[in-house]
Amino acid sequence: MESRYKPDTSPQPTGIHWRPYMVMTFNHAVLLLFTVIIIYPVVWMVLASLKTPGEFVSNVWGLPTVLDIDNYSRAWELANLGRSLLNSLIVSLGTVILVVALSSTAGYAFAKFSFRFSAAILLVMIFTMQAPTPVIPFYVLFVRLGLTDSYAGLILGIASGSLPLSIFIFQAFFRSIPNELREAAKIDGCSEYTAFLRVVMPISGPAVATVAILTFVGAWNEYFLPLLLVRSPEFRPLTLAVQVFFFQYGRVEWTDVFAALSIASVPMIVLYVLLQRWFIQGLTSGSIKG
Amino acid sequence: MASQSLSGKARHQHRRIARLDPYLWILPAVLVYGIFKLVPLASGLYMALLRWDGIEDPRFIGLRNFQRILKDDLTIHVLLNNVEYAVGTVIGKIVLSLFLAIMLNQALRGRTFYRTSLFMPVVMSFVVIGILWRWLFNAEFGLINTLLGSLGLSVLAQDWLGDTDIALRSLMLVDIWKWYGFHMVIFLAGLQSIPSELYEAAKIDGASVWQQFLYVTLPMLQPVMIVNVTLSLMGAFNVFDIPYVMTEGGPANSTNVMALHIYLRGFKFYRFGFSAALSYVLLVIVTLVAAIQLRLMARADNIE
Repeated sequence: MESRYKPDTSPQPTGIHWRPYMVMTFNHAVLLLFTVIIIYPVVWMVLASLKTPGEFVSNVWGLPTVLDIDNYSRAWELANLGRSLLNSLIVSLGTVILVVALSSTAGYAFAKFSFRFSAAILLVMIFTMQAPTPVIPFYVLFVRLGLTDSYAGLILGIASGSLPLSIFIFQAFFRSIPNELREAAKIDGCSEYTAFLRVVMPISGPAVATVAILTFVGAWNEYFLPLLLVRSPEFRPLTLAVQVFFFQYGRVEWTDVFAALSIASVPMIVLYVLLQRWFIQGLTSGSIKG
Repeated sequence: MASQSLSGKARHQHRRIARLDPYLWILPAVLVYGIFKLVPLASGLYMALLRWDGIEDPRFIGLRNFQRILKDDLTIHVLLNNVEYAVGTVIGKIVLSLFLAIMLNQALRGRTFYRTSLFMPVVMSFVVIGILWRWLFNAEFGLINTLLGSLGLSVLAQDWLGDTDIALRSLMLVDIWKWYGFHMVIFLAGLQSIPSELYEAAKIDGASVWQQFLYVTLPMLQPVMIVNVTLSLMGAFNVFDIPYVMTEGGPANSTNVMALHIYLRGFKFYRFGFSAALSYVLLVIVTLVAAIQLRLMARADNIE
């Protein structure tokens, strides 16, 4: 990952040694400024969530003098965040499992088998995957299938959106696996399916991780589908619960809102920092080939 | 003889199953995608021809919804908002992220820290970001106006989300805030794939830093540039969460954009047919953008 485009630090014939340092300082200053613009609001949100309502107004910038955990218990209770956290976990993990299962098998078929219409099917997906789904027929379909207010509805709805890209990621990965591996497994008596499950999938960790992260982050942060498909409070995922809670803010303290926002975002941020290499690679994999 | 013909038949049957086999592998994915993506795409075409409030029996009215869209001042206003949003966010994201990527490609120390921090908002939901920024933009107590006040710049303080002249631009800032780190990472990957020999050759020819940027960096970045522009354009024409959570399209529809307009026509005013017709207007726009992208990519490939 070493950069090939480095500043020329070799001594110049004119003898200006300080110039690279000035360039470096300037770069750091700019990068630092834009990093603070990103990080500060998020840190401030967490700090505000720990202040008493009084201190939130009087002490805008500083650290909280007394840690007020009550914000969290109030938000947790008022917005029913425990239930929503569970809903978000069920929907996100369910979507990941479904998408990995469906897109790995399909990606494998597109990579390793030749069959009629395979190119046509891929082409239809490429042309329709970026098309925004018309909201009304989408909603009517879910109502007719009885899939509103259900985990299955949310999972299927989110999964359908992330399938094409996941299939392309798996297809590209399986193409890079030598055919000999599969042939050897079949000579050993494996069927095509057991060869896939026992031999190919165990070495496909990177592709699985990429698709899983991409799908998980998307499902966890999905807001529009729950807004459309969930009426009953007991099926609200975190995003929807936080928004509903906030929209009642005539009756809700800002500090409680920030506690709810922190609950909804901090776990994902921590996970991201711990696994940042995987996250960045996974979340940009649709855009950077390979 | 008999056994041979039997085995031939069995082989034939086996081959037929084998020919069906690939379709079984793709069937679950194709079913889910077909039912939940392609069916609405197709069935909406019929719904766009109806006058329907979602409750009473629909009435077939032909193309009248589309005729109404063309004459609807609000829809045209919303479209113009969306175009402004797209132009502003795309230029903002591209310029800023390319600039930062070039900085980051040189400043080696702390590179992981910068990259991780700048990319972070990508994993945050727009609901959280939207509510947080509603507070930052709050005219009376918000962090931004408070900051401007304490710097002695209270002249610059604005009613960021309440002023029809600037509310849309405030939302654009939030969108740029979420994504500039993402686009920077993609540009960075592009920059790192440029062979250093090209810069050395340019230097030998006496090219200035600016000339190197214009004649080496930019042309070599064309593939990632197309990716970044397309992603942000698509995002801009599909944006819903930010305006819905932050302003609900207001004040006075100054932040209303297509996806929100479609949603509100359907679920606030119960004009299902009109909303469905609007979806296809948006679809045509997005398809045009995608078609231009494909053309550009094809041309870029030809040059290579």
